[in-house]
Amino acid sequence: MRRLPLIFMLIMFVFSAQAIAAPKLTITSDADTLVLDRNELESFPQTTFSTISPYFDGEVQFSGPTLARVLETFGVSGETQITLTALNDYKVTGSLEELLSLDAIIATRRDSRTMSVRDRGPFWIILPLSQRPELDEEDFHRYMVWQLSGIELK
Amino acid sequence: MNKGTLLSGLFSRTTVVFLFLIVLLLLGGSFYTYFQDRKLQSVSLSTIRMASWNLAQLGNEASAFDRELSLSANGVGDPDELTLRYDVLWSRYDYLLNGAESRATRDHEDNEQRLENLFSDLRALEGPILAGIENGSDSLASVSEQWNRQKTGIQQLVIDNFVGDEASRLVTAVEESRDRLANLRILTLAALVAVFLYLALAIAFVRRQSKEDPVTGLPNSQYLHSIRGVAPDKAIITCEIRGFQLVLSDFGTEGGNDLLRVFASKLKKELQAGDELIQASQSGFVMFLAVRPSEDIEAITERLVEATTFDWRTGDSVLHVSAVMGVDPQCKDNCPGWSIRYQRAHRALTQARLEGRDYYINREDLRRRIEEDRLVHTGLIRFFNNEPGTLHLSLVYQPIVSSENINLVTGAEVLLRCRDERVGFVPPNRVVDLCERYGLGVELGRWLFRQIARETQTLYRNLGFDGNLSINLNPSMLADHLVQDVQSLLIDAGIPATALCMEITEDNAALEFQRINQLIGSLHDLGVTFALDDFGTGHSSLEYVRELKVDRLKIDRCFVNGIEESEDKARFLGSVIAMADQAYMKSVIEGVENKAQWQLIESIGGVLIQGYYAHKPMPLNDYLALLLDSGTCYPSVQTRSLASASY
Repeated sequence: MRRLPLIFMLIMFVFSAQAIAAPKLTITSDADTLVLDRNELESFPQTTFSTISPYFDGEVQFSGPTLARVLETFGVSGETQITLTALNDYKVTGSLEELLSLDAIIATRRDSRTMSVRDRGPFWIILPLSQRPELDEEDFHRYMVWQLSGIELK
Repeated sequence: MNKGTLLSGLFSRTTVVFLFLIVLLLLGGSFYTYFQDRKLQSVSLSTIRMASWNLAQLGNEASAFDRELSLSANGVGDPDELTLRYDVLWSRYDYLLNGAESRATRDHEDNEQRLENLFSDLRALEGPILAGIENGSDSLASVSEQWNRQKTGIQQLVIDNFVGDEASRLVTAVEESRDRLANLRILTLAALVAVFLYLALAIAFVRRQSKEDPVTGLPNSQYLHSIRGVAPDKAIITCEIRGFQLVLSDFGTEGGNDLLRVFASKLKKELQAGDELIQASQSGFVMFLAVRPSEDIEAITERLVEATTFDWRTGDSVLHVSAVMGVDPQCKDNCPGWSIRYQRAHRALTQARLEGRDYYINREDLRRRIEEDRLVHTGLIRFFNNEPGTLHLSLVYQPIVSSENINLVTGAEVLLRCRDERVGFVPPNRVVDLCERYGLGVELGRWLFRQIARETQTLYRNLGFDGNLSINLNPSMLADHLVQDVQSLLIDAGIPATALCMEITEDNAALEFQRINQLIGSLHDLGVTFALDDFGTGHSSLEYVRELKVDRLKIDRCFVNGIEESEDKARFLGSVIAMADQAYMKSVIEGVENKAQWQLIESIGGVLIQGYYAHKPMPLNDYLALLLDSGTCYPSVQTRSLASASY
């Protein structure tokens, strides 16, 4: 009986994990579509840095694969435009070349913890603003899409 | 209100304070606008955009959740999608309430509180939603009801912030700022115009002030300098108050100013329309006078002189005031520039002052006279310095004889002769005047003494002549050094002191009786005698006769002229001689030119005679020849000793 609550909780956890499925990241181009979940993203080589941001006071640590690495895996063949989409359908379109030059990561963890939708996760494009202060401009802030749900190349 | 008072009104304290207040007001307005607009600037465009964006997103996300909720309530929704939308909305609240970027939005008015309330309402839905997902669409319908209330709150929040008060306030503020700036610009322009006008008037006033004498209100030398030309038909008359410095020292600046005002008003009365009167210096005036064909410039100048000669009464003292003037008359053709004409008028004035005249008119004769003066002056300097030159001074002697015996030469008056190769004969009094004027008086006197000694020492040493030698003293010689000069230059050179007779004129003595008498006394001690020359030509002759301790009276030729024709004149001359006798003075009658005069004076007797009838002035050699003539007798050392022997 002592173990019952634990089992119950375990069941509840599995159930709820299935019931509230975590959003995934969909990468598309004309030719391909790739859907990645957090585990898959975290199987890429991880980049971790602490940076200031417009969202939090002081420096906060983010980690995740670089956007460049993920797109390399996806395979880029002549596309020049990139569109980032958030869960609320917010869209940002920019030059792929430019975005790749910003050392962006697809953050999966903040301060080593995974991020829920409520925490503006699970994926968040983060630029190393502390490391490259020249990026701390509104023009670049717009790429830092939270609740990232899609990447579309054209 | 004339221009003067208008201009001085501009500088009243009220006007200055008023202008100062206007400027202060403008400054205040500028600062107020500046600070108001700084507040506006702090509402940066990006902050407004960010706030609008966040609230728009809130609205969108709320709508997305609303849509999912109503789908689910109707049993066609996807629970995952519903919770996702719920979470997204949740994250928005979290972001609005905690994100650094959202601070401006949250800090605005009571947004934070409203957001807190809405967020807690949303959190309150979590349980019912999860339960609704478990239990089916019915229970979700009650969630919908709860949510609808929140939805209204969210809409209101979006409306209030997006198109509500704040935006309109912002617009109003911007409009106010724009109006303020426009008003300020107009005010500034108006103030600038006012200040500019004020400055222009101030400059005009100062310029006018600077060209006006503060005492008489006449245009001053500044104005004189600004004059470009004077019409040729106008005479330029310069005028100066005689002895104004004395007035200043006696009556002070106030007294001097009073006199200036009186004097200026007297000049003003003589002006006609179109004439100008300028105060060129403290006591100097310049006039530009139109000369009408019916008038001549002499008459005008005489009139001016008359008008400015007056007795000025101040307090209980009376001062005789007069002016000296120089005139450059109107010119017909070949009129020189105004400054040359002014200079000429000034030179005429200088000449008049130097010669003690009331005025001079700049004409050919004055120009010639000035030029001659210049030539004689330089000639005299060269002469006294023994430099080669065109001017030469020489001496002549006019014998003085006894009225009893025309052949008895009692002595001679030494007279100065001056000749310049360019000017010709220069009258001795002019030489003396020039020497006095240019500070050569003592030099002239000493030259005279030396020359007399050089020429006549033979006469006294070798001939034993004991007659008189009358020497005219020029004014500069009537000083303390005279005794020393007479001693060293004449007596030490061999002229007996008793033979020397110093002639002084009334002009020289100049009322300083005490000082002159001291000099006379000192020379009397040496044995030198004195004569008062030109008696009868001055103003206060009798006073001089009474006061000065002279030994001889030289009666002027004016008392001799016409005695042969008028018994009255003859009798008058007789009484003058009698007066001299009474005062123990020997009379020397000058200007006896004919036999009739001689006989009349001879009949009076007891006097000495100097005149053309007896002898004209002659060079030394002629004088020596005269003395050596067998028909001439003269007082000598021998005769004197004989005379004393006969007693």
